[in-house]
Formats: sequence, structure tokens, C-alpha cells
Amino acid sequence: MEVDVELTPREEVPAWLTYGTPVFTVLGALLVGSVALLSLDVNPLAAYETMFVQTLTSEFGVSETLIRAVPLILAGLAVYLPMKADLWNIGAEGQLYMGAIVGTWIGLNVSLPAVALVPLMLAGAALGGAVWAGIPAWLRAKWGINEIITTLLFTFIAADIKNYLVRGPMQGGFGGFAQTDTLPGVAQLPAIPGTNVHSGLLVALLAVGAVGLLLNRTRFGFEITFVGSNSEAAEQAGMSRYKVYLFVLAAGGAFAALGGIGEIAGNQARLRAFFAPGYGYTAIPIALLGRNGVLQMTLAALFFALLFVGGDNMSVALGVPAALIDIIQALVILFLITAEFVKRYSVDVSLKRGRPVPGAEVATDG
Amino acid sequence: MVETAFFTGLLNATVSASTVLLLAGLGELISERAGILNLGVEGMVLIGALSGVIGTVMTGSYWLGFFIGSLCGMVFSALHAFLCISLQADQSISGIMLTLLGTGLTTYFGQQWVSANISGFPQIPFPVLGPVLTEIPIVGPAVFEGPATDFIALLLVPTVWFLLFRTNVGLELVSVGEDPETADTMGVDVFKMRYLAVLLGGLLAGAAGAHLSLAFNQLWATNMAAGRGWVAVALVIFARWRPSRLLVGAYLFGLFNALQLRSQALSLTLPPDAPLASTLNPVIEFLLNPTIMATYPYIVTLAVLIATVVWSDDHHSAEPDALVQPYSREID
Amino acid sequence: MDEAEVLRMENIYKEFPGVVANDYIDLHVRRGEVHGLLGENGAGKSTLMKILYGLYTPDSGEVHFEGERLDMDSPQDAIDAGIGMVHQHFKLIPRLTIAQNIVLGSREPAAAFRDPEGPLASLRASSLVQGLASRFTLGLDAPEREIQELADRYGFDIDVSTKVRELDVGQRQRVEILKALYRDVDLLILDEPTAVLTPSEADRLFETLEELTDNGLSIIFITHKLREVKAITDRVTVLREGEGVGTVDTAGMSRADLARMMVGRDVLFELEKDEMESGGTVLEAQNLRANDDRGFEALSGVDIEVQEGEIVGVAGVSGNGQKELAEVAAGVREPTAGDIRVGGDTLTGASPREFIEHGVSFVPEDRHETGCAEELSVMHNAAMKDYPDEQFGDGYALDYDEVGAYAETLVEGFDVRGVHEVREALAKDLSGGNLQKLILARELSRDPDLLVANQPTRGVDVGAIEFVREQLLAQREDGTGVLLLSEDLDELFDLSDRILVVYEGEIVYETTPEAGERERVGLEMNGGQTSMDASGGEQIAATDGSGSEV
Repeated sequence: MEVDVELTPREEVPAWLTYGTPVFTVLGALLVGSVALLSLDVNPLAAYETMFVQTLTSEFGVSETLIRAVPLILAGLAVYLPMKADLWNIGAEGQLYMGAIVGTWIGLNVSLPAVALVPLMLAGAALGGAVWAGIPAWLRAKWGINEIITTLLFTFIAADIKNYLVRGPMQGGFGGFAQTDTLPGVAQLPAIPGTNVHSGLLVALLAVGAVGLLLNRTRFGFEITFVGSNSEAAEQAGMSRYKVYLFVLAAGGAFAALGGIGEIAGNQARLRAFFAPGYGYTAIPIALLGRNGVLQMTLAALFFALLFVGGDNMSVALGVPAALIDIIQALVILFLITAEFVKRYSVDVSLKRGRPVPGAEVATDG
Repeated sequence: MVETAFFTGLLNATVSASTVLLLAGLGELISERAGILNLGVEGMVLIGALSGVIGTVMTGSYWLGFFIGSLCGMVFSALHAFLCISLQADQSISGIMLTLLGTGLTTYFGQQWVSANISGFPQIPFPVLGPVLTEIPIVGPAVFEGPATDFIALLLVPTVWFLLFRTNVGLELVSVGEDPETADTMGVDVFKMRYLAVLLGGLLAGAAGAHLSLAFNQLWATNMAAGRGWVAVALVIFARWRPSRLLVGAYLFGLFNALQLRSQALSLTLPPDAPLASTLNPVIEFLLNPTIMATYPYIVTLAVLIATVVWSDDHHSAEPDALVQPYSREID
Repeated sequence: MDEAEVLRMENIYKEFPGVVANDYIDLHVRRGEVHGLLGENGAGKSTLMKILYGLYTPDSGEVHFEGERLDMDSPQDAIDAGIGMVHQHFKLIPRLTIAQNIVLGSREPAAAFRDPEGPLASLRASSLVQGLASRFTLGLDAPEREIQELADRYGFDIDVSTKVRELDVGQRQRVEILKALYRDVDLLILDEPTAVLTPSEADRLFETLEELTDNGLSIIFITHKLREVKAITDRVTVLREGEGVGTVDTAGMSRADLARMMVGRDVLFELEKDEMESGGTVLEAQNLRANDDRGFEALSGVDIEVQEGEIVGVAGVSGNGQKELAEVAAGVREPTAGDIRVGGDTLTGASPREFIEHGVSFVPEDRHETGCAEELSVMHNAAMKDYPDEQFGDGYALDYDEVGAYAETLVEGFDVRGVHEVREALAKDLSGGNLQKLILARELSRDPDLLVANQPTRGVDVGAIEFVREQLLAQREDGTGVLLLSEDLDELFDLSDRILVVYEGEIVYETTPEAGERERVGLEMNGGQTSMDASGGEQIAATDGSGSEV
């Protein structure tokens, strides 16, 4: 008996698959995640109920989710925009750190009224992120050096710089912890009136709108799309690959940086060593999930935000290690990848009786 | 200012620190030579470390633990292999997913093993020639006495070189990373070779992790790889995909690591009354700060990366031509 | 010659999503013959051969080789059966040596384990040891010697220990043939082998093929060049749109007959061309020098001039600088020296956009690599160069409705088939001919002053070829200056007002079609040395421009 797997490329992706993918992906991840839960004697249903239902039905849960979504949306854009130009920004995490560092420094050391200080912090942060992404961008645009490697290396360097600053020159507070002083009130982002969510969310949504407009309604967006598809032809058509690469990566870095400072100035009020649980990396599946449009990407970011918040909730309520969230995240990516494959090929698995070895009848003499 | 004992200690630490990098690096080198980028090394190292500890405690033998750790690394990498080779998934995504999964799984399941009592690899002299070589002053005891895993790592360098460049399997593996379509036409089993490469990479990464928890540190701690897996990825680029250079790079990066841990003992600052002391001393202190030193492997790798592209005479890149490109036969 | 059949492919059917590539095709090849496989692009030749070579499996149908039925799952099966393929795009690994490339996959064990004699012979010959040795040793010495002998025997003039990346195109093709010979094939498939050869190299190839067939080898020769079919094949099978049209003896067929079989109707080879008055100068360039992609000098001091309403043809074999000349003239490659003036304005060192704005249009040699973005829609590709135009929006904004409408007019105007919706149909879904028509539409609708067309009819089906040529003539009548680079001498002689010959980066000869110096042009393309032509035996002496022998 033999298992025969037939793969046929699909001509069209059936609707149920396109719309169902996010759903199946998530369900699959949760299902496998429940195995991990069971191994620690935790009831998966109770755990997921805490994670999703309880979070979404409490005001606190909803605002926390929206707050978490801010860096995720912005980091997602940081990966999404370069992706349109066929570049991989794996360094959103590092750009996020740089934004947080620069913005916090400004907030702590420059005295201006809030009206001027906050924009300055944001601008400074964006600049920091743009430069941090801009160097790998330049290396790629001018020398063709693979941006996956460079942005990754820059992230590790940024992480170490952050750790150094936060235990050294920028260290503040009491007790010698790895964190800075608290930002003064003028440096903190105000809340959106009537909610507990800081205005960083507005910045994030504005950014989403801007990127959407850029890609779908401008000439430069046309160039980005074209360069992303065939940069050589684009060059011959008079477009500048150099300009596009520099822009999308620098802009991406700026977005990620805004996510970083947004989290500090809006949520945490001080820069800690471990303030961001890998938002820059989570941004990658977010961008992939939302590959077809900024709206889809935003939804993906919201979902992952929910995962994070619900995960914390579950961790506190049921004593489940928060690392489960990492596992579930990884599983979501895993199922995403598998779904991509299923979208491209239809798979038929069948059992057959043993068949003769191919070519066995070919004579071996002569 | 600095004593010979310091140097011996430094050398010892260098060799020790480099073993992890060497093992993981060799594995990643093999994988990338076959065209598969594996960014999941960090995760695989952690899996190897944890399962090595579990294996040792369960079986009572650190050798068995070491093999179990390596094997688990290999099994874990099979996931990456399946996704990237059979499902043609994006290799960067799959790798990062693997790291996330490995980190998550080991943190989650490793909690109960954090305080486990482990007697791991003892320090032994290098086989056969050991007792003689350890007599060499300063260098001797540092390099030629250590856990057996140090020696295994060292011996693997020429082994991997021989495998890649002096065997048929190696020729096929390299060809698959340069041009899988051509290799396929020549009758090479591209899938099998790529699977083999990735699994070997996983085996060695797992071994690196097991060395970490059974020889270098002799315990399990959450996230104990501390980024070494990523350094290994950078190392392969630094080494331009050649085992001999990998050895040099591993020792260099190991040196950085060792210096990091000893920077307090390194009092290299100028005495206060020396010329330019007030300007230079802060700079020196900055450069010797352990957290800053942690960036050196990455900076050095970047420098090499840039230098080789910008100043290369031959216009051939050292990178395997088909790195990061999936292969499927009937794609039109 | 033994008339027995060496290969019989019966009722081969192969389908891909949306297209039937092989529709119950038969192919019969006799031992020791050169059998041509003729058809337009997309006719199914490539698919049929990939089935024969084990890369594809047919959905139905059978392959019989040397009397046995073959069920192949991989190229290895084909090689084992004795079928070898020399691909158009060489399957060579640049980083490895010739010998390594040839030996790859054969798993030769090291010398000590090959036919062991002497101490421990039986142990070394045991299957376990042989299995290990074939995997974990590398037997290169003996094979290297054998391959070198083979190469010398057929006069290939190469050192098999050199890395492939150091070889030129002609040498690499020889390595490909060597690969097949080393594996002891009985049937050799050659896929458009002369696409990258000079005429004299092609002649050499034909000689080699004759020698191989004299030695009992059978050859399938894939081509779409009618001239070659006549020159080298004994019989030819013609495919059209996935179906077999028939198998005929080459001797009794004319090029027109074969073309009719390929296309199903008569194809005009002659085109009407009016006398044009000369107008102003559209392109003027002096002393152009340029490097190729690898950094070596490809253009070594070229002067060239194109007038309004004139077609200047450039003849030459690929690799002599035509690509670089076209790209410099079109403004997509920067010259390392020299001046360029378009319509009187100096554009030396200007950006591609400036050239576009000065009315320069470009149809590049490689449609897919530089002519379009395959994964984008027809609409995107139609607007590739014109999207900055005012008609599509003010300032930064881009009105995609306008762009779509524009794309539709192009598609209709130039009869681009296979597009149901300009926003949904992707460039890669179009056939070669239709894609070329789209590109042409895009480039010509801008009413250019200078059109640079590099191999515009290569890889395009015969129907579209006519269309393209008519368009070029129409541009000429309109007053556009056309720089036409082509490897097809017929095309150049039919269309050009003047013909230049480029060889090793220089213009070495100039003539007009009226002077009838076809052979001289062919000669100069090869450096002006005497050569044997394909019909065998005639030495061609140098003539002066008037056509009389010196």
C-alpha cells in the first residue's frame, strides 16, 4: 500500500479558501495550542474563553487591545510598505527601539510646552527610525546588499544600544533598574477623549490611511508597485529603484519608530529594557496576513493585539506561562504558511495498491 | 596590569564560547550551502539545550543527553525543512517562526527544569596528544583541556570541509544551492539533498544547544542561548560560506564574548594624568562596556559584508546562487 | 543508414491549467537521423521534449525508446535510458568546473574503489562499501581524463578543469553536448542550439552533429528557424498550437511549405516598402563606448546616425555589442565615452526618463526581464512609461480609471489577444506574440521620434511577426527614425534602408539591401574571415562594396 499525494496547481483560488484562511489559521493555531495547555493541566476552553471572550467583553480589555494595536499597526506598516517594493524589513524591532530611544530622550531633556514637545518627540523618533532603516536601505539600493541580513543585524545592535542606554547614561528612576525616568506629563500622549486609549492610535490610523492613499492613488505608489514587481523594467521605464528603496525602507523605519515612541509616551511613560515583546517580529506575519491591503493588515494587527492582551489576561488568571502566546503566534504563522500552500495547490491524498517501480520494464542490456 | 592567568582564562573562555558558535555555524553553513536559509537557529539551539538537560536527567548520562539534544534539534528543524522545501514557504518567515516557536516552547516547558541539578561534561585533556599539549604555557591548558564537545566541534571543521568539497554527496549538496534546476536535470535528488542539509543543520544546532546546557553552563535557564543562534547566522556570512573561515570567525566572535565577560578585569584605561586621558578614557570605557561589546560580532559582520561587496575584484558573490529560492519542478 | 525506429512517442497528452500543451501528439524518430521539431512559440515543442526528458509526466500517452516502454519520473530515468538533452538555457553551474558539472549526479567513487583489484578487492567491491564510497568519496581524476579525451576527439578545444563561469557562450554549449556524450546517450535533443552562436559556430555545430549521427547517434533538433530545418534535418515534425501537423522529409519542402504547416496559411515574406525622402537627423552618436553587465567593454567606439523616416538595420550575432548599443541609444545604459544627440539635444549621460521625454521608445530584447512586469496587470504594463502624463491625474495623484481606459485602447488598437479585463489579466498570461504586441502598442502610441527595437520578432509566432514588421514600416512612413537590431538577416534586408554590421563592439561594415550583399554581411558578422557556409564547401572571397570580386 502506498500513500499517493497528487498536487495540482490551482487556476483560481476558491472563495471559501480566500476568506476562510484567516479563520482556519487561527482555529488551527488555537487547537494545537490547546495541546500545550492540556500538558499543564489547564482546560483549553477555559483558557481561550479568558483570552478572547473575557478580554473583548470588558472595557479594560478592549482599550488594552487598542493600545497594544498601536505599535503593531505601525510596525506592520513598517514591514508592509517595503514588502510592496519587494523588500523585506526584518528590522522593524530595531527601528522601533530607536524611535523609543530618541523620542524618550527628547521628552526627558527638552523643555517645551506639550503642543511643541510631543510633535518634536514624534518627529525625532521618526527621524531616528528612518535613519536606522535608511542605512540598510542605502546599502541595498546602492550596493545590492541583502536587506534581510542588514536589517536583522541592525536590530541586534539597536537592542544592545537600548540595553546600554537604559542601564547607563539614560538610567533613571529608583532602585537601579534598567529603565529611564518617567516622562514628564507634557511629554506624554494625551488620551483620546472619552476613552482610555492614547492618541497614538490616531497616529497609527492616520499612517494606515496615508499608506493606503500612497499605494492606490498616487504616481509614486505606482512606481513602488512596479519596482516591487520588476525593478529592472521599472528602471528602464524611467523610474528610480534607488529612490523607491530608500523611501519605503526609511518610511517603514519611521513608522516603526513612531510605534516605539507611541508605546512609551502613550502607554508606559518610561523606557524600560524589555518594553516591547517582539512587536517588530510579530509585524511580519501581520504584514503577510494583510498582504492584500492596508485594511486587512490593520485587522491582522488588531487580532495579534488581542492575542497579546488576552494572553496576559490568561496568564494572570490561570497561571499559564505567557510564553504560550509566543507559541500560538508561531503556530499562526505556521498555519498561514500552510494555507498559502493550499491556496496554490489542491492536494489529493489517496491510498493506492503498490505499483510497479517506474521504468522497471526497460531492458538493461545494450 | 594584566597577568598571564588572565590570558589563559581568556583563551579558555574564548575556546569555550566559540564551540557553540562553531557547532551552530557549521550547521547553518551546510544548510545555506544547499540554498536554505534557516533563521530558526536560535530556536533550535534552545530546543537542543533543554532536551539535552532533560535527556541527561532522565538517563543519567551526559553523553546520551548530548545525543538526545542534538536529535531534538534535528527533529525541530524538520519542520522548517518541510515548510520550505515541500511547501515552498518563504524561508525567512519560516525561520523566524521556528525561533519564536522554539523560544516559546522551551520557556513554557522549561520552567520546571530551571533548578535541575546536572553533572555535565567534565574537563578532559585532548585525546591522545592531550597530556603533552597541555604542558604548553598559557595556551596549553586553555586550548587542549576542556569538555569533549569542544574537541568534537573542532574536529567537525575539517569533517564538514571534506564532506562538502571532497565527496559526491557534498558536490550534489553544493550544486543544489547554486542551481537546483540544473542539479535536478543532472539526476540529483534536490529535495533529498536539501532535506539532508537542513536536518544536518538542525542536528548541529541542537548539539550547540546541548553543549551550552551540558558543558558550557551545566544548567538550563530560560532563553539561555542569549542570541548566540543569531550570531551563528551572522558568522556564516562573515565566513563567506567556507568552513575554514568559519573557524576563524567563531574564535573571533568567541573572543568578543569572552572579553565581554571579563571587561572589568581589563583595566585598559589610561592613568588620569596621561595626555588626553580625560577625552580618551570615557571612550575606552564605552568601548569596553559589556553591552556595547555584544554588538561587535554584528558590526564586524556588517563590515565584512560591506567590504566584500564594495571592494570585490571578481564580480562573483560568495553567496550560494540559489540561496533563499524555493525549487519545484513543474512550476511554469 | 539503419531505418529502424529508435523513438516512438504515441498520443502524448499534457494539460496545464487553462491550456492544452500537447494534444495527442505522435513523434517517430529513426536511428541515426537528425529529426527536426518545428513550431512557433507555444506550439508545444518544449513541453513534448520535457516529457521525453523526464521533467514532466504526460497525462496520457506512451513513450517507447529502443523498443522498450519508458515510464520516466525524473531526468535521471531519461539519462539512464539513454536520452540526453542540450538545453537552450544552459544547465551549468558557474562555480563548478567543467568536469564537476559533467560528473554531477553520477556518483563516481574515488579511484581506489573503481573496479577494485589487488588487496581487499572483494571487500571494496561489496555493495555496502561501493554504496558508501559513491556517496562519501569523489571520483574526479579518471572521469576528468575521459571527458578531456572526448572533448579533444570532437575538437572542442576546452580544458575541462576550468570553472564554467570563465567560459564563453559557444564553449558552454560544447560543455552541454559533452555532458550528454559522457553519459553515453543514444538520442540527443538539442533545443534551439544556434540561438547564441555565430554563423561559423553554427556550422561547426552542424558538422559535429553530422559526425555524431555517423556514429549512430539520433538527434532531435528543436527550432523555429526554417533555414536551419532545411540545412541540417533529414525529416521534420511540425507542431501547431499543441497539435501535431505532420512529419515530412525535409528535402522536398520549401521554406514557404514549412511555414504554411506551422501557421496554417500562407505567410508573406516580402513586404511593401516605399521610397522615403530623408528628413532631419533623429539620432546622432559619436565614439560610443559602453560596458556590458559584467563590466567588460562591449561597445568600442561606435558612430551611428538615424534620420527621420529611415530604418537603420544593425546586423550582428548576439554578444557583439548589439544589446549594449540598443540600450545606449534608448538611454537605459550609460556610455563610458562618446556623445549622443537626439533630435538635436545632447543627451549624453541623461536619465532614462529624459530619453523618454525626448521621444525615444524602446522595445527591448528580453520582453520578460526588462520589457514588462510579469506579475502586474496588463493595465500596469500599458502605463509603464506614460503614467506621469497629465491625462492621468494632477500632481501626485493617479487616476486609475483613466489608466485603465488607456490600456483598453492599446489592447484594441494592437489586437492583443488573451485579455478579458485589462486590470485582471496579468502580463505573464499573455503569449510571447501578444506580449510583444502590447509592448509595441505602449511604445508606439507615444508617437516617438526615435524607435529602438532589439530583436522585436524573436520568439514571436509568425502571425505576430508580420504585424510587428508592418508596424515598423508604418512608423517609418510616419517619419519616425527606427534603429532595428536583429539576428534575422531576412528581416533586415526586407525592412532596412541601410544596414550596419556590428562585430566585437565596432561597426565593421555598411551597405544597403539594394546592393544585395547578403553573404558579405553574414561574413562581416563573423569578423570578415573566410568561412564555410552551411551548404558546404564554398569559400567566400572579400568583395568591395560594388559586389564584384576583388
